[in-house]
Amino acid sequence: MTRKKQPEAVDVVIVGAGAGGATAAKVLSEAGLKVVGLERGPWLKPEHASGDELKFLNRNFIWQDPKIKPRTYRPNDKVEAEITNFSATPQVVGGGTTHWGGMVPRMAESDFKLRSLHGDVPGASLVDWPISYDELEPYYTRVEWEFGTSGLAGANKWEAWRSRGYPTKPSPLSQIGRTFATAMSKLGHGTFPMPQGMVTEPYRGRQPFSENGFWQQYPDPGSGKSSTLISFIPDAVATGRYDLRSDCYVSEILVGKDGRATGVRYQDEDGDEFVQHAKAVIVCGGGIETPRLLLMSKSGLFPDGLGNGSGMVGKNATFHQYSFSVGLFDREVSDPLYGWAGHYMSLCSFDFYETDESRGHILGSLIFPSMIGHPVNWSYPGRPTWGQAAKDSDREFFNHSMKIGVLLHDLPVEDNRVDLDPNVKDAWGLPVARITHTPHSNDFAQERWQVAKNGEILEAAGAKKVIPVNMERITGNTSHELGTARMGNDPATSVVDRWCRSHEVPNLYVFDASFFPTATGINPALTIMANAWRCSDRILQVDRHGWSEN
Amino acid sequence: MGQAEWATVPISTRDVDGPVFFTEHEWNTIEAASARIIPTDHHPGAREAKVVRFIDRMLAGTQFIFPAADGNGFLRMEGRDEAAWQERIKQRREFYREGVLELDRLAKERADVEFLGLTEEDQDAVLETLSGAAKPHAFSLEHSEVGLGGAPAGNQPVNEDFLEFFPLLVLNTRQGFYGDPVYGGNENRVGWGVIGFDGPPSLASTMDGSYTTRKYMVEGAEWPYDQHPEVLRYRRP
Repeated sequence: MTRKKQPEAVDVVIVGAGAGGATAAKVLSEAGLKVVGLERGPWLKPEHASGDELKFLNRNFIWQDPKIKPRTYRPNDKVEAEITNFSATPQVVGGGTTHWGGMVPRMAESDFKLRSLHGDVPGASLVDWPISYDELEPYYTRVEWEFGTSGLAGANKWEAWRSRGYPTKPSPLSQIGRTFATAMSKLGHGTFPMPQGMVTEPYRGRQPFSENGFWQQYPDPGSGKSSTLISFIPDAVATGRYDLRSDCYVSEILVGKDGRATGVRYQDEDGDEFVQHAKAVIVCGGGIETPRLLLMSKSGLFPDGLGNGSGMVGKNATFHQYSFSVGLFDREVSDPLYGWAGHYMSLCSFDFYETDESRGHILGSLIFPSMIGHPVNWSYPGRPTWGQAAKDSDREFFNHSMKIGVLLHDLPVEDNRVDLDPNVKDAWGLPVARITHTPHSNDFAQERWQVAKNGEILEAAGAKKVIPVNMERITGNTSHELGTARMGNDPATSVVDRWCRSHEVPNLYVFDASFFPTATGINPALTIMANAWRCSDRILQVDRHGWSEN
Repeated sequence: MGQAEWATVPISTRDVDGPVFFTEHEWNTIEAASARIIPTDHHPGAREAKVVRFIDRMLAGTQFIFPAADGNGFLRMEGRDEAAWQERIKQRREFYREGVLELDRLAKERADVEFLGLTEEDQDAVLETLSGAAKPHAFSLEHSEVGLGGAPAGNQPVNEDFLEFFPLLVLNTRQGFYGDPVYGGNENRVGWGVIGFDGPPSLASTMDGSYTTRKYMVEGAEWPYDQHPEVLRYRRP
């Protein structure tokens, strides 16, 4: 066996290769920096993907196996946390952009100033973002065009200004989309094509998607679905300056006597340990693994975890719980919906996004119709589970069912947090992430109201039975992990500054969704990528000139 | 080796007809139980779909857990993933071994025969006892039924590791009926036929674009708002 050598020092080491990590890798390597990427998961390729429901949804081929990488959850400090599969998210090269449905709406202007709009909401830690929509807009546009998106610009009347449209046209309308649009229109509401991370026409060397219907939760065997795996990562690798090492698990960020980060310690797939030195460290492990890594990186200078002088690392966690109403249609009356055709969802609406206090709560979210599931996982509450009744129900409703869902725009609460579990260890012997979370009363009010509203839309669509699926607690069922390394101007109440740089460690950055000061009511990937690009530009223009040369 | 480098072994769940893990008696008993969970009527049920073969292959070891993407062969798992699945399969084997014993014990209590010797009605009664609840009765659009169970629909599946024998058997029966035929069940795609899922003829057909759901979409739909001035502002050349 040849002895492995310690790697050479580089300009930047990026932990994670998902939405944030891959964007930073592209921008920094294309500008000439030498970058190493460390991804704890495998580097699967499109040829590893196919329409296999059991493999991806039931046997966790790309979601973390809870026996190897468990997490624990508890509602509050008074009870013992239990092992769960909380927030199943692909830990692979490409991260969440591999299994996602590719929803890429932009944030609303109001999302940047919720504190100004709503003041002090009791029990919540509502803040304004330290940046504005205008600062992010050029980067939204850049990502939409570099990454590959589809949509109909101008069709969302609630959207703020945009400097450019979408590079490819919207995906075709599904029967579920048609049903939703008709019902919404009947109720006086608007709909528009969901902006999606996919190309629908030949674009940047990519062919239009295949339409095999295995879309949400499935990686794409083709080049239609946009993921960092097939876009930003190849871009970065092509520079010759991005060395991406998969199956490499970072266990600690190292700091020098001067309090600056010097690199990271990691294990490769054989369990051999290495130290990767770099002039700067960017953490992009996701909103659960990132605070976990910061909290595991304890040292004399940082006894409570790295960059955690404020005690805010891991706090204010939000998770965008997905709730919905199911509609069952009478096959004697209604046309089949064929939910498994197309791209999981088709249209969406922002009509309930902005606050309307007459609803009894603040905030709102986008809503969208979608299929209920492929055959194995298709279900609804109250479904008979076995016997003739079960078979009859599957046969009657599989093609005559749909749901309309909402991504809960949950309020940040300081006690809702990620920390290190004192008892449970992962397969590497390291403490796992423990999630402590109870929804704010506004979360419940918003969720109940919207799920009921979605039920009314289903009734208007002709559903004969509407079944609400409300949350009892947060389960992390959207894989959106937000807010645990909050961005802000005040070092006492936030972890990173407006450039997503640690307030305390001047060469340490967090570019995943951990930085979100508030949750928003939209899918976060586009914003993660736009922000990572914005902050990478800052590194290139300013920060790198202050890095030491050894 | 990482997951991306796992080798493909040229094996199939159909290489042999009969059991790989189960004894003949276990095979026949699980087949009979699965046939009460998804019964045969004017459409095929679990028996015709070979659900028992699906369950047997799942319990056979780690060799049939992850098919190659194109369905030709299975991935040879390695490292921590393999160890985790060994542990998982060991536990499920115990559930099934003890489950068959329990089915026979309940059958003997009821009619002094093994589960296989019972009438279908008595088999249902044994399953009711095992599940601790009455057999689900018909779901109706008009009436609201309470206590029928059923996993809530959601974006992420039930974690099988936390299930006991009966719910595990019900879920595995469903998986064997509706999962891709590569796993040993859903023989001739009969499960998909029952519910009207026009699924792919092979896993490979989902990779090369030859399988498409396009005809189930709304062809040539005109967006009702694409003539709106706000949309026209961004019209692409």
